[in-house]
Amino acid sequence: MNVVVTPTMVGQVVISGILAGALYAMVALGLALIFGVMRVINIAHGPLLMLGAYTTYFLYAGLGLNPYLSVPVSMAVLFVIGAVLQRTLVFRVVDAPELSSLLLTFGISIALVNLAQLAFTSDLRAVEYLTGSWGLGPFAFSKTRVLAFVFAAGVTTLAFLLLQRTRLGRAIRATSQSREVAMVCGVNVGRIHTITFGLASALAAAGGALIAVVVAVQPEMGQVWTFKSFLVIVLGGAGNYPGALLGGVLLGLVEQIASLFLTSQLSEVVAYVLLVVVLLVRPTGLLGGRQT
Amino acid sequence: MTLAPRAFLTGLAVLAAALALYPIVGTGYGVRAMLQLFMWIALAGSWNLISGLTGYVSFGHVAFFGAGAYAGAILIAKAGWPWLPAALAGGAAACVLALVIGYPCLRLKGPYFAIAMLGLNEVLRALTSYFEGLTGGGSGLSLPTLHATVPIYYAMALAAAGVTLLTYLIITSRFGLRLMTIREDEVAAEAMGIDTARHKLYAFLLSAAGPGVVGALAARDQGYIEPISVFPLATTITMIVMALFGGKGTVWGPVLGAIVLFVSQEIVWARFPYVHQLLFGAIIAAVVLLMPRGVLGLLQTKYRLPRTL
Repeated sequence: MNVVVTPTMVGQVVISGILAGALYAMVALGLALIFGVMRVINIAHGPLLMLGAYTTYFLYAGLGLNPYLSVPVSMAVLFVIGAVLQRTLVFRVVDAPELSSLLLTFGISIALVNLAQLAFTSDLRAVEYLTGSWGLGPFAFSKTRVLAFVFAAGVTTLAFLLLQRTRLGRAIRATSQSREVAMVCGVNVGRIHTITFGLASALAAAGGALIAVVVAVQPEMGQVWTFKSFLVIVLGGAGNYPGALLGGVLLGLVEQIASLFLTSQLSEVVAYVLLVVVLLVRPTGLLGGRQT
Repeated sequence: MTLAPRAFLTGLAVLAAALALYPIVGTGYGVRAMLQLFMWIALAGSWNLISGLTGYVSFGHVAFFGAGAYAGAILIAKAGWPWLPAALAGGAAACVLALVIGYPCLRLKGPYFAIAMLGLNEVLRALTSYFEGLTGGGSGLSLPTLHATVPIYYAMALAAAGVTLLTYLIITSRFGLRLMTIREDEVAAEAMGIDTARHKLYAFLLSAAGPGVVGALAARDQGYIEPISVFPLATTITMIVMALFGGKGTVWGPVLGAIVLFVSQEIVWARFPYVHQLLFGAIIAAVVLLMPRGVLGLLQTKYRLPRTL
């Protein structure tokens, strides 16, 4: 294939990659939290993102709420849904073999998608809020992408502040390092699990709310996000929360750079090849993570 | 040999004879339904080989079905192969794919394999849509007309019997014991000197062959394939539900699960297509939480049936 790559194109691609990467990082941080704290890979993470997108859509279509103002509402709604899922179902498999938690969250995932199809139909919905782009020199920035970046960076920063600076965050990190020791120190581990699951679902919901403005909202929009979030974790190193940031930006960059040379049809193939190559070459992630 | 196993074997032989004679007396619908049941037995049994025995969950087993379907269909349509060798080639193609995916992902413990399989499906669908020259892309691939439902019925029956026999042979062998050791405690298995990566990979290759053969047979039977028809996530979900419901890690569990769920699907659920996935999701959750060893596992515990059932 003959593609002429100009410096402007490279710059544009790098910027787009970073913009997309912040979103990946935020959503993947949720998956990483659940994995870190409970050793559970939540296959339903993507479908929870889909529910967040629907929340934003209905607030916009029904009440005319600005989609960016609905981000915290979506997050709150999904926090509750996530906490309920943890309290009713997921807590039963936290100590079970991995097979059980993978299968259970897989079951939840397909049930959620089917429920969304029943409740919302499979019609493509759009939140037509902002269109067009801002120009800066030779580069063009899609407005929705820039705002998604700003919000994702903000939410991710808040999440890290919560983890690093608060008592709750310390309890979460302690539980993820050693559940027994955390318990001995007086941490209510069951409660931390519930909060973590809620928090992770809220992060997914923020992702859903922000991309509701960019892409069509439909019941099956979420599944690919489970895969991509996991890829981000693998890139950054499992159990390594800052690694998720690097992984997110990296995935965004790789996808954008690949889009220079390949049709967008193959963008998932690129992400997949990246996963296999990383697992082959550096299975502990680029920053090095905890061994699983 | 005591009486019970002999009666069991006699029963199996009678059943096999009845199934062999069935196409002579059966209706067209009946033969086709049985053919599909055989397909599901082979698929659920194959999933059980990797996920039931080693505990490594494959969320994308339909990928091997689709890879076999495309390999077989291309050989039949473009190279003029007869369908039987094409079906075997479909199995071989699925094994090659399993090697490529399994080698990097099964060396690691943990969920890497499960997630890699989760994405594989979409990737293959995108690839088959993209390489239009070979696969016909999104418009699909038509095979020359051939009325071979009855021969394919026998081939499917052989595939189902083959997968079940293979499962029995594995479960009663040292190889199978090693796989189950990996499932129960991988670190202990390693400490005992089991080359876990290699064993997992072998189990994975064996579990890919069946869906590859069956996929090629199904492609021949339907006469037309396209990316969305051979890579549906629903197929993976169905084989997981069947194996889990019947009892993962057992010989007859997937067979039992396939029969029960296929029959109920034909009779009852066909009327409620919109809640299909919801129901399957609920079954998965219920089995995982309430009866992790499936129906057969319950029966084994209750009636002290042999573990090799």
